[in-house]
Amino acid sequence: MSFLLSVENSAFGTWVRESKSLWAYPTILFLHTVGLGFLVGLNAAIDLRILGFARKVPLAPMESFYKIMWAAFWVNALSGTALLIADATTKLLNPVFYIKMSFVALAVINMVAIRRRVFGRPSLDDIAGFARALAITSLIFWGGAITAGRLMAYFGPVSGAPGLENSIPSR
Amino acid sequence: MLQMFSVWLHGTTLSWAVAGGVPWIWPLCETLHFMGLALVVGIVGVFDLRMLGMAKGLPIGPLQRLMPWAIFGFTINLVTGFLFFAGDPFQYIHNVAFAFKLIFIGLAGVNAILFYVTGLYRRVDSVGAGHDVPLAAKVVAATSLFLWIGVMYWGRMLPFIGNAF
Repeated sequence: MSFLLSVENSAFGTWVRESKSLWAYPTILFLHTVGLGFLVGLNAAIDLRILGFARKVPLAPMESFYKIMWAAFWVNALSGTALLIADATTKLLNPVFYIKMSFVALAVINMVAIRRRVFGRPSLDDIAGFARALAITSLIFWGGAITAGRLMAYFGPVSGAPGLENSIPSR
Repeated sequence: MLQMFSVWLHGTTLSWAVAGGVPWIWPLCETLHFMGLALVVGIVGVFDLRMLGMAKGLPIGPLQRLMPWAIFGFTINLVTGFLFFAGDPFQYIHNVAFAFKLIFIGLAGVNAILFYVTGLYRRVDSVGAGHDVPLAAKVVAATSLFLWIGVMYWGRMLPFIGNAF
């Protein structure tokens, strides 16, 4: 706990959490949202195509989007680390955080598996049941990561920028 | 006018339910709002990135078939967004970030409408694998990406530049 406190109260952690600058907590949170949009959204587009929507779209060229997906992944790994440092005691003691990380890990493994096992097939457009299964688990894992990420604000200790309740508004 | 509408809305059962009267509606809507966001950004992103020259092996016409999923995501966000507004209208109506968010969504809509009504859509629809779209379409694609990222920016700034939450 004292280790977590020292992480949280490091110069960087304090700046992210308490600076009045828009470049601190607000911008980092914004980057985390943009990363989510491109990472999950492009994954979902590929999953939907594998599942048979827009069948006339050739699947193979969609592999190019992995560049953007990985860039978005790293934006979120870095912005997420910054947000974690700023709220280390609350987030690392929140069980929902570990559920989110598990979903993200599964989703990323799934994303690599689709690249190797689906895009790696010679006759790509002849999609097997295995590929469809991977597309479905991808959608489930990303959906789980989003859900757990949002619910971190409601289960366990509440964190975030000071003055931000991040909870159900009360009347 | 807006004030009167907000007062009325705030007095409805719907507003009461969203704002904690029925537990978990608010967090559920937030979660759905992020999923809708991902669908819009992902599907519109595929289309815009292709027009900008990425994944050139994709013929543009058939990509349109993915568009209903973007519209589905946008509809989810329109509904959940309205529910947030209904739950606590006063944190939005005097919020500059909220005003900019609506303006950016409107501009993204105008951008899309111009793409269709100017006939640019028809010229792009027949662009096959390996070919470039006209410059005007690239401008529309870049504008679209900028505006949707802007929508996320203003949404995220609701509590920081504006006064929500």
